[in-house]
Amino acid sequence: MSELLVLALKFAFLGLLWVFILFCGNIIRTDLFGRRVPVADAEERPPAAAPRAAPSWRERRAAKSLPSTLRITQGQQQGLTMELGQALQIGRSTDCQLILDDDYVSTRHARIVRGERGYLVEDLGSTNGTYLNNERISTPVPFTPNDTLRIGRTLLVVEA
Amino acid sequence: MSEVVVRRQRSVASLLMMLLALALGASGYLLVHLNQDGALPPDWLMSVGPLQFSGPWYVGVGAWFALGLVAWGVTKWRLPYADPIILPLVFLLTGLGISMIHRLDQADSLRSAELQLLWLFAAVTAYCVVVVALRDHRRLQRYTYVWFLAGLALLLMPLLPVLGRENHGARIWIAVGPFSFQPSELAKIILAIAFAAYLVEKRDVLAMAGHRFLGIDLPRPRDLGPIGIAWGVALLILVFQRDLGTTLLFFGLFVMMLYTATERVGWAVLGLLLILVLGFVGYEMFDHVQTRFASWLHPFTDYDRNLQVISAQFGLAWGGLFGTGWGEGRPYLTPLAKNDFIAAALGEELGLVGFCAVVLLYGLIVARVLRTALAATEPFGKLLAAGVAFVFALQVFTIIGGVTRLLPLTGVTTPFVSQGGSSLIANYILAGVMLTITHQARRPQVAPTAEEYASLSADPTQALPAVAAPRPDPADFADGPSGATEGEAR
Repeated sequence: MSELLVLALKFAFLGLLWVFILFCGNIIRTDLFGRRVPVADAEERPPAAAPRAAPSWRERRAAKSLPSTLRITQGQQQGLTMELGQALQIGRSTDCQLILDDDYVSTRHARIVRGERGYLVEDLGSTNGTYLNNERISTPVPFTPNDTLRIGRTLLVVEA
Repeated sequence: MSEVVVRRQRSVASLLMMLLALALGASGYLLVHLNQDGALPPDWLMSVGPLQFSGPWYVGVGAWFALGLVAWGVTKWRLPYADPIILPLVFLLTGLGISMIHRLDQADSLRSAELQLLWLFAAVTAYCVVVVALRDHRRLQRYTYVWFLAGLALLLMPLLPVLGRENHGARIWIAVGPFSFQPSELAKIILAIAFAAYLVEKRDVLAMAGHRFLGIDLPRPRDLGPIGIAWGVALLILVFQRDLGTTLLFFGLFVMMLYTATERVGWAVLGLLLILVLGFVGYEMFDHVQTRFASWLHPFTDYDRNLQVISAQFGLAWGGLFGTGWGEGRPYLTPLAKNDFIAAALGEELGLVGFCAVVLLYGLIVARVLRTALAATEPFGKLLAAGVAFVFALQVFTIIGGVTRLLPLTGVTTPFVSQGGSSLIANYILAGVMLTITHQARRPQVAPTAEEYASLSADPTQALPAVAAPRPDPADFADGPSGATEGEAR
């Protein structure tokens, strides 16, 4: 190959390498702030935001069988899932199986225990209370996949 | 009305960047042959033990493009909101590395580049497993002490009598059959996870006010336990493995994460002092560290012993501003050009302009991950991203600084670029963890719906009668805090 072509290819390669970096810079620049959208628009984005549709086969099956996992649907640890065993203690203390990083949660806040027909949730004398479907609970009550549990600012559901 | 920040996925831009990165990697490979022989590469030959695959050159290029696009596709599928440019940057560095290894193959007539592509296949598989299986980095937070033990075991593994292997004075390798492996590559990821999980739990204690000395908040002596243990382990590695690079990587990671978690300069100052002590101990105790220092400060006094450093220097000088061009220089004169000194080989053939671009590619990866650390909403992701970015940056700084004689040379690998399967796999796992954090940090947070938060503010406020409040008795406070705050959420 001629010297001139070698030289041209060399500079073309180096040029493309720097073009790549400039493209990176441009993507970073347009990505800096993100787009601000009103809350109302953003709600429709994640598919998890619309739970109250007609019950699918999955939901119906889940209602029949015993739930097996606990999922955090909202809060600091959103998206976290955990296996439900015989009993599960929730709170901020390290001896809890589910440690919530939430200022409104007590050291030992609530407990989920396995009953004969499903799981029960029980408040352990917490300061801010434990709410099942927005009602404060005082006795152990059944916790089914149709219910939403609120502890502090964290929302939890059980699923099969 | 409140607003939320939504980041675009940038799928098209990411795919175009990926294609450009793959094309640049492949064109390095082709340019080697075009420049040397004026023709396209003659054949593609991959031999693994008794098995042999061979074909025309475009088989290799096709495999390279396929690997890159599979990695991109899996990322798009599982982590749609992941950072759009980290993966193209990783693949561009890998491509430059494989092309340079192939260029060095032309001088010693080995087939290392084809083998490296096979390792890349394993690395992309490992990357896909991480991306598909992990998805949410917070799941890693649960096993703090298991990670600690695993990381320390990996770090200390080369000291085992049968497995460990000594190489160039440093005992940082293990060998199983024909494969040798540098476990510290994997240990750095595992320890970053362990430190992040540990510090999220304990940072409040470590950030408590201590003594103020010369304008710096120093920690209380009783909180020195963790940093003491980390320093002890670092000393252990230094004394028994005799490798300053691994020691600095491990201890530097710990000090930096401690500083990030507590936001206190005292820890960073203390850590730097301890690093200086480590360096001094290493220098005094080991001949080969003294050799490394001598070949850093006065390489030209002993030409025979410092051949590697000197010829890398001549290579960089010969490359000049724009380099000699792919395949036109003589980087093969440097011993170990394919792994330790691949940065010098790139500097010679791509010149200062290309070398700066490579350093900038690393810098962009680090910047993107640090940016994610700033954007992350929960503390574990923040710390993990900062730690992972820092250990990656420190490793690049150590080896490129060593090659360019900014620092004494240490035996860490050049991430994604240098030859070696274990390093490639470990760094692709690291990239998987990085992208998982970016996905979690960048995806739109589910906006709080009115119904769910209404109940929080609608909680009845209890009015307590103030008349019956008893006058506090000073004697109650004499024996320290009692259990009066028990019922409160703390």
